[in-house]
Amino acid sequence: MLSPLLVVWRKEVRDALRDRRSLMSLCIFPVIGPLIILYMFNQILDTVEEAQDITLPVIGANAAPDLIDYLQQNGVLVETVEPVAAGVLSPAQDTAVRTAIAERSWNFVLLVPPDFGDHISEGESVNLELQYDSSRQREAGKVARIENLLQAWGSETAVLRLVARGVSPALVRPVSVARIDVASEQARAQTILGMVSMFVLLAAFVSGVGIAIDATAGERERKSLEPLLVNPMSRLSLILGKWLAASMFSTAGLALVLALNLTALHQVPLEQLGISFIMGPREIAGILLATLPVGFFATALQLLIGLFARSFKDAQVYIGLLSLLPMLPFYYNMMNDTGREPWMNLVPLLGQNMLLTDVVSGRSPAMVDFLLAGICLLAWAAVFIALASHLLKRERLLFS
Amino acid sequence: MIRVADLVKHFGTVRAVDGVSFTARDGAITGLLGHNGAGKSTTLRVLYGLLKAGHGSAHIDNVDVAQDPRQAQRLTGVMTDAHGLYPRLTAREHIAYFGELRGMTRQMIVQRTGWLLEALNMESIADRRAEGFSQGERMKVCLARALVHDPQNHILDEPTNGLDVMTIRSVRALLQQLRAANKCILLSSHVMQEISTLCDEVVIVAGGKVRFHGTLETLRQQTGNANLEDAFVNVGGVEAC
Repeated sequence: MLSPLLVVWRKEVRDALRDRRSLMSLCIFPVIGPLIILYMFNQILDTVEEAQDITLPVIGANAAPDLIDYLQQNGVLVETVEPVAAGVLSPAQDTAVRTAIAERSWNFVLLVPPDFGDHISEGESVNLELQYDSSRQREAGKVARIENLLQAWGSETAVLRLVARGVSPALVRPVSVARIDVASEQARAQTILGMVSMFVLLAAFVSGVGIAIDATAGERERKSLEPLLVNPMSRLSLILGKWLAASMFSTAGLALVLALNLTALHQVPLEQLGISFIMGPREIAGILLATLPVGFFATALQLLIGLFARSFKDAQVYIGLLSLLPMLPFYYNMMNDTGREPWMNLVPLLGQNMLLTDVVSGRSPAMVDFLLAGICLLAWAAVFIALASHLLKRERLLFS
Repeated sequence: MIRVADLVKHFGTVRAVDGVSFTARDGAITGLLGHNGAGKSTTLRVLYGLLKAGHGSAHIDNVDVAQDPRQAQRLTGVMTDAHGLYPRLTAREHIAYFGELRGMTRQMIVQRTGWLLEALNMESIADRRAEGFSQGERMKVCLARALVHDPQNHILDEPTNGLDVMTIRSVRALLQQLRAANKCILLSSHVMQEISTLCDEVVIVAGGKVRFHGTLETLRQQTGNANLEDAFVNVGGVEAC
């Protein structure tokens, strides 16, 4: 003989397992996250690799050996293109350059006028032309880097000219800005790693929602709640049984998504981005501690809201909005760079998000953070369940 | 035995039940007769513990429903006004679910289910899922799961409403069998004919008040109508039909 709680739990699980269509749709979700992660990381790795070797076609390289040396010293591969014969660029050649860019045989070209060296040595100003297509987003980084190098060479030349004339460079450059980029490689990939945590949290909300709606709004819609409630058991054990069943599905989905995402991350050569991806037993235990309560939290909230809805459709609308919840901490973290603060552990989902992001980006939070976040979530869930159990006692819920 | 005394139930400003008193004794089928909205279902819902009365009392075998609703529910089999089933569970599983919720052992459930399936002539649908059930088949499942724990008292809200003749006959036969076993049966209906073929006693309610309580014979004598329908109209069911 089982307690009513377990009887309800077993019935709900059996009922849900027979709902093949919802089960199938549940199987699609876990795959999406890893796919997106693999794709985005490969994109990043591509751009990182590409930015390292820039090949710059230069027309008229002979006229500016110093400049070319400078570019090569800074890691630019210079491809010398047929030098211009006479004086200025011919109109025909100009068109040829544009066509080459349009046809993508080049993405950008540097044009050096033949009298470049003469003007420089005479202390004059010369026009360099960097032709490129700004609609090619992926090349924007390289173009910017080349432009910076050209400007830097110009500044150096200017300094040399002043020194040659006995003028202190400081006189014409009262302020110099030194840019020091402190963003670690880890931080750069953080946004994507933040998505891992979003997918994991979302999984908890998606995987148990069908059973949570079916057990509340579904019971009301198909008018099976009244016959159920004439059985001698407490409303609390009824809702606990339903909660247990929904949480089981939710937690299973979460665990699956977590496993798939971590496996996907393992496949990405994160070292190339300078990220040390530590996934030891301590980290795994911590992640489980912090995220497993999410399923219980999500389904408790869904059950409570499901009770307010009179029909399946109503409930789907309300709870659909609820599924945006796991995305909030993700966006909050994107907007807010103040770093981690203790109170964040106490905000449902935000704490989990921070912990997950920390772990996947190679920082190990303290065990007390994991515990605090987990306990806080369970406390919220308990409040929702108590409210739901109270709601079930209301006459209007049954007969309206 | 089922007993209500001076029961009053308000919904907002509406008095759905306005001082209803009657007793349904063991070994008899008592019919609660009235038109839709007369207060039948509200009275029954107070009896099976899902509504709280504003005034008055409801007892099942001397258990005060308001004070110990769970004990009262244990002593009662209830077929509610709502007949919802779970589309993915079979008829047999529906019966077993309610049996388990009432703490019956597996063996007791199997035994009782066998008896109910036979009594209600529903063996052929026992292992089919409920999604394709006809109205009659659904009602049979509802009745069977209400009776799974072999209760002493039965509260049945319109148990034959919308059923085909064959189903009605098997339900009637079952109820008569229960009466013979000295069970207390309280059923509601808005169909005079249904009451007259089944019930030993009748309680006629209209406007939330009891207009008549007694045997069918008394009803005929009191009103002087040989026809029960006329008698029904005479005692105040007139607003009903």
